Amino acid sequence: MGLGTVAVYSDPDRTALHVRQADEAFRIGTGPASDSYLCIDRIIDVARRSGATYVHPGYGFLAENEDFAQACLDAGLTFIGPSPDAIRRMGSKTGARQVAIAAGVPVVPGTEEPFADTASDEAIAKAAATIGYPLLVKAVSGGGGKGMRTVAGPADLLAAVRTARSEAGSAFGDSAVYLERKILKPRHIEIQLMGDAFGTVIPFVERECSIQRRHQKVVEESPSLALDPATRVAMADCAAAVAKTVGYTNAGTIEFLLDDDGRFYFLEMNTRLQVEHPVTELVTGIDLVHWQLRVAMGERLTIDPAQALTPRGHAIECRIYAEDPDLGFMPSPGLVRALSVPGGPGVRDDRGVSAGFEIPLFYDSMISKLVVWGTDRPQAVARLRRVLDEYRVAGVRTTLPFFRWLVGQPEFSAGAFDTTYLDGLLASRKGQAFVEPSGSDGDDAAIVAAVAAWFRAHQNAAGPAQAADASVWRRAARKDGVR
Amino acid sequence: MRLDVEVGGHTRAFQVERRPDGRFLVTIDDLVHEVDVQQTDVGLSLVFADGRSLEAAASLMAGGEWLVQLPHVDVAVVVDGQRHGRRGTGGPSASGAQRVTAPMPGRVVKVLVAVGDEVTHRQGVVVVEAMKMENELGAPKAGRVIDITVVEGVSVEAGRLLMVIE
Repeated sequence: MGLGTVAVYSDPDRTALHVRQADEAFRIGTGPASDSYLCIDRIIDVARRSGATYVHPGYGFLAENEDFAQACLDAGLTFIGPSPDAIRRMGSKTGARQVAIAAGVPVVPGTEEPFADTASDEAIAKAAATIGYPLLVKAVSGGGGKGMRTVAGPADLLAAVRTARSEAGSAFGDSAVYLERKILKPRHIEIQLMGDAFGTVIPFVERECSIQRRHQKVVEESPSLALDPATRVAMADCAAAVAKTVGYTNAGTIEFLLDDDGRFYFLEMNTRLQVEHPVTELVTGIDLVHWQLRVAMGERLTIDPAQALTPRGHAIECRIYAEDPDLGFMPSPGLVRALSVPGGPGVRDDRGVSAGFEIPLFYDSMISKLVVWGTDRPQAVARLRRVLDEYRVAGVRTTLPFFRWLVGQPEFSAGAFDTTYLDGLLASRKGQAFVEPSGSDGDDAAIVAAVAAWFRAHQNAAGPAQAADASVWRRAARKDGVR
Repeated sequence: MRLDVEVGGHTRAFQVERRPDGRFLVTIDDLVHEVDVQQTDVGLSLVFADGRSLEAAASLMAGGEWLVQLPHVDVAVVVDGQRHGRRGTGGPSASGAQRVTAPMPGRVVKVLVAVGDEVTHRQGVVVVEAMKMENELGAPKAGRVIDITVVEGVSVEAGRLLMVIE
């Protein structure tokens, strides 16, 4: 589109890819996000100084913050996203439920209003009895599983409400909670949509995001094996109805739960582009970020609704993190010494790091989103297996060994999973390693380490080994940068 | 060059020599492997005498151990006992007291054991919140908790001692 780009960065992100690839880049503070990426005034100041006209919030930090969207408008900037009012209305979980109900969309049975801090134990118990057990206590401002408790029966209710309140209060500064029936073994299915300023809302083919660890998505795919075309159309119509009710513009996603009887319920809305948007782009051939910009510029959506809602083939995304899967997915930030990224038809790698980059310990440790496309799911899974084997990230532990194991599981091949699948599986393994090195792997590793130690010792004698190492990594980084 | 190489709790004596033609002779327990090793952008490219080709990355980690990344699996290797015990790579058979340390800055959310408790290898002992996620740290070995140096709610720096298991 020929637009210039301006990046903002914190100290540890100085050599991050988004800085290196931008036309201009401005430092906005130190490592902790509270002193950089969450500072609205500093970001607005950079926009003013650089003469920027549009602000894309990405999908983290301030992407769903109505104050940031409002600050952009107040500064005469165009926020690439929905209106502050739409963000606010859909950001409250109970508010979003009310919008869904007003739009005639099914919601999980639950309380319509959050409980006041002064609500009596009797009132909470009565509401719970009406909804039925098992149920969930959920924070109004919650997300990512924080401030959420499962309650099996009346005996555990009040303690769960108390802990959810205190967790939500410290995590979100809002201790309001409400109750919702717990759908057993649900699938998480979501509808991407795009709206323009003229009232057009286009829903897209669904994404299946049921493979989650502690409510964080791990694998996403499109389409879902669990949806027939009629349910897809019904779900898409519901998503569009919710969006129209709040006058939604730009990219957003409506999340649904699908129970094992095939009924679906509105869960919540994400008022931004999502991490997993590439799977939708691959099965529809529609560039969502491109449309975000065009809609923000005031253009009309001219996407063919049938193209958006008809999957062409199958796409699967794996979130590759700097985490050690064998240590309970402990973040393992550090220096990425080298990267070797697979390619070929139907392979897309959206990564935020490069060789020579030190993954900061301040933020989410995502390395890349590895996405594959195939003419059908079996072909996509076969392709995923190959590229997972070829993908190499040297210097840090990653979730790659876990994904190599996951794609070999019969439930994954069959698409037979729900949102409880992965947590249950991990609990049953009790910390057992995903890929145990065989005896010959151990021999290979020992030989590699012995030779590496030899190189290190001999390069030390001839000159500083670190410098020799570093130049290799720098060469790799340069190669990677110009690819 | 003689090296003690430990993988998965087993230590073996290695002899590593480079021949004038650049090939390496790696002798393990009287068995000689002839390997052509070249440094690459990923790490090391190995071609064995029987034609087998292997590309692996070997990184010396902060804890002193080598992280060897084979195509399918990551393996921790300790060369000449160079390990500082940061990651608890000693494995279930390691002897002596093992320290559980914070791998990153964060906040101790929950201490799951008490002094005197018997724990099994990899049993969760403490939950540290960092980067918006709660991380359960496992026991580096089976044993008894002899010291807990933090309480719930405290912020910890990377490397801070959390507890000792013997």
